[in-house]
Amino acid sequence: MQQPFRIILSGALLLCAFSAAAQRIVTGKVTDTGGAPLIGAAVSVQGTSLGTTADADGNYTLRLPDKASVLTASFVGYLSVSRSAKEGERIDFRLEEDIIGMEQIVVTGTRTPRLLKDAPIVTRVLTADDIRKADATHIGDLLQQELPGIEFSYAMNQQVSLNMQGFGGNSVLFLVDGERLAGETLDNIDYSRLNMDNVERVEIVKGAASSLYGSNAVGGVVNLISKRQNERWTASLNARYGAHNEQRYGGSAGFKVGKVANTASLQHTRADAIDLKSDGDYGTIYGNRTWNFKDRLTVSVNDKLEFSARAGYFFRERDASEAAKDRYRDFSGGLSGRYAIDRSNELELYYSFDQYDKSDYIVRSKSDVRDYSNVQHIVRGLYNRTFAERHTLTVGGDFMRDYLMSYQFADNGARHQYTADAFAQFDWNPTLKFNMVAGVRFDHFSEADVSHLSPKLGLMYKIGNCSLRGSYSGGFRAPTLKEMYMNFYMGNIFMIYGNESLKAETSHNLSLSAEYIRGRYSMTVTGFYNLVGNRITTAWNKQLNGMQYVNIADMQVAGAEANLAARYPCGIGVRLSYVYTFEHIGKGQPLTSSTRPHTATMRVDYGRDWKNYGFNIALNGRFLSRVSTDEYTSAASYEETQRVTYPGYTIWKLTLSQRIARGIELTAAVDNLFDYVPSYYFSNSPTTTGIAFSIGMSVNIDRFFR
Amino acid sequence: MIRPMKKSSIALLLAASLATLPACNGLFEGLYDQPAPTEENGFGFIRVDSSTRSGTIYIDATSYTVWNYIDFRTSTVVALGTDADEPAAWDFAVHRYDAKTNGGSVLDTALSDFEPLRNAEQLPDGDYVEDIWTTEQITVDMSHMMDGYLIYVPSFYNPVLSQWLDVDTSTMPPIYTPSKRIYVIRLSDGLHAAVRLSGYTDTAGIKGYMTIDYLYPLEH
Repeated sequence: MQQPFRIILSGALLLCAFSAAAQRIVTGKVTDTGGAPLIGAAVSVQGTSLGTTADADGNYTLRLPDKASVLTASFVGYLSVSRSAKEGERIDFRLEEDIIGMEQIVVTGTRTPRLLKDAPIVTRVLTADDIRKADATHIGDLLQQELPGIEFSYAMNQQVSLNMQGFGGNSVLFLVDGERLAGETLDNIDYSRLNMDNVERVEIVKGAASSLYGSNAVGGVVNLISKRQNERWTASLNARYGAHNEQRYGGSAGFKVGKVANTASLQHTRADAIDLKSDGDYGTIYGNRTWNFKDRLTVSVNDKLEFSARAGYFFRERDASEAAKDRYRDFSGGLSGRYAIDRSNELELYYSFDQYDKSDYIVRSKSDVRDYSNVQHIVRGLYNRTFAERHTLTVGGDFMRDYLMSYQFADNGARHQYTADAFAQFDWNPTLKFNMVAGVRFDHFSEADVSHLSPKLGLMYKIGNCSLRGSYSGGFRAPTLKEMYMNFYMGNIFMIYGNESLKAETSHNLSLSAEYIRGRYSMTVTGFYNLVGNRITTAWNKQLNGMQYVNIADMQVAGAEANLAARYPCGIGVRLSYVYTFEHIGKGQPLTSSTRPHTATMRVDYGRDWKNYGFNIALNGRFLSRVSTDEYTSAASYEETQRVTYPGYTIWKLTLSQRIARGIELTAAVDNLFDYVPSYYFSNSPTTTGIAFSIGMSVNIDRFFR
Repeated sequence: MIRPMKKSSIALLLAASLATLPACNGLFEGLYDQPAPTEENGFGFIRVDSSTRSGTIYIDATSYTVWNYIDFRTSTVVALGTDADEPAAWDFAVHRYDAKTNGGSVLDTALSDFEPLRNAEQLPDGDYVEDIWTTEQITVDMSHMMDGYLIYVPSFYNPVLSQWLDVDTSTMPPIYTPSKRIYVIRLSDGLHAAVRLSGYTDTAGIKGYMTIDYLYPLEH
């Protein structure tokens, strides 16, 4: 061995020995707020693998390294607490019960797992418990019931159309485990594809998020996170029957044997046509039926390496007329690999396939003729590096091939384009109280020849029980193949033309929020402002004597949101959410606003649980204010307007859920409790015909064997 | 550490998955039907059964500027422009979903089946309605609809026979509701024909292709 190297090695060994000798012992106690010991609570040193658990009296002893250390005490069901360890100080922890669920992990805001209370980007989470209480079949039911500012109404031909605080369906990006969805009708994805089977939680991030997710994340992101199979085996069956012969049947089964886990679910729904009670824009809601199958296979090779494969099939048929039925199908699949190189480095690779087809089933000729197919192939790489166990660098990129065959193209033709992007984000946590996230993403779309840079900056500062968050984020939406190449004779009446010169829609989002959490209470207040440029819509073109896709002048969406939640040990929970939205679109633009200014949702529930019986009774309310808007008197001219007012309404739903023995759950619900019936059915009126009853049952077979 | 056996099972899993990687432009094309082009189905009197005096007429009524003139006596269909003169002999005519007769009148029987008419001892009795003259019904140019007006041609029009298909344009796209009823046409020569609209699309679902079942003459 060479002399200099010996000296260095000896020096290093000496330093290690000195370091060990200088280690300090710290002791303390972990209790709840009442002083009762939390036996088994974990106490760990941030940035190291050092840690211990509290003994039967709640006491712990931990050897600390010489350098300044931060200790974190955590216990299931309690809010974790971090404190700096000072010389000679005894460190006791008093943990508050996590009644509100702030220890929930979220991923959407940063693309890395964060505790909800530490997430630098305001994220709303709807848990499996919320989904169960909402008695929701698909994402539309759930969002509408739980969140204010969300309205699903009808566009032309009873196609479902979303308005989320002023943003339409193509400005809110829907993801399933981070993967986007193919296919759209009148700018909205098929929400009925997103059923609630095997969904662990839904994360909603409002505001632009293109710095992580690219096109379409102009006004927000909704991400459905699937359940992981953690039990050796699971099996469940469920059924629901409601008014208008609405039926839902589902089943799911999963196993985990050694390193292999698989979960599969199948759901079938059907509903008769609904004859509405009053006059309206439409008189009958079409009957429909759906089939939805999902499967996910995971192979955990070892602690570091995991592979997943998924497959899905969706079918929906709508009784559009006696002569023809509308059919919608989706085939999806994906492969992913996750490799934890070491404690600080993680690499993920994804391949995703999604094909959404539309066809007409002609009853007389019994032929099923496809006239639309959107096929997306996406590959993605994602790399995370953690520095000092606190700061995270995320780097990634996607490549997508987007193919579209459509009846709206000349001669039912097809087009395709490629998109490529790269993104980077740094999540900086210099102290326990301060966090900063900065990110940027570059996207390029081949056919639109659009390149776009989307930045983001988010700051969070904690003072006591209060978290203050502020962010700026950029959003964009590239012109789609449909918007560029449409050539469609609408209803044999007028032409709609695409526009190859369209610019990308852009948005600048500013958001400020304050969150206060104490014990059983949480309160969040948020103010937001969006400047949306180049929004794409159709406008009458006199020269073409038809409609054409165009960019319109800047528009603005601003508002404020407040959420209050409380849960008491006696079993009572309350949640109240309110949103005020102000949308401003300049005069003479081909688009007019129809966003309701005031919306609110509320839930009061009371539940108790014993060994062989439990119940929960929940009252959900949904309030939407009326909205007045100046609509153009002619579809071909943007000058003369008339004042139109759409009435507000309130809908209440009462749900009683009961658990019998270990695994039987019975649900009875009364929707539209106070029998609201619109006097005229506008496209944004609820399609209710009055009070409606439903009953449901689910049997979790595996629970009887545990 | 990955053991060799695990490596092979992973490789197998990946290979199996990759083998199923779908084609660029999608999967399962075979699920769908490829309807024969409309013109291959043929137009005109596509079925004539003289033993039962019945048949089926299939016409292309997709154009706003064409009348299809139907003549039972010769089993022919002639398509002429809306500005052209009527042919020498015809019984009834169809423009889009509008219908007119050649000096005849029409009864709505409220029946949906031909059978009672086929064996009837006497001709159906009731309110036979003659054509009306209209200047605001036969649309030949839709292109100004968004400007608030349409262009019509003056023409005769039978308000009863035209009820065979209700097109509700108050919503978009329009709602099509066929009456499924049998209409009896009293022809100008005194004979009677019964007709029923049994389809208004081609096999691919494109609207404006009319399938008409008939019984002619009703007299036996």
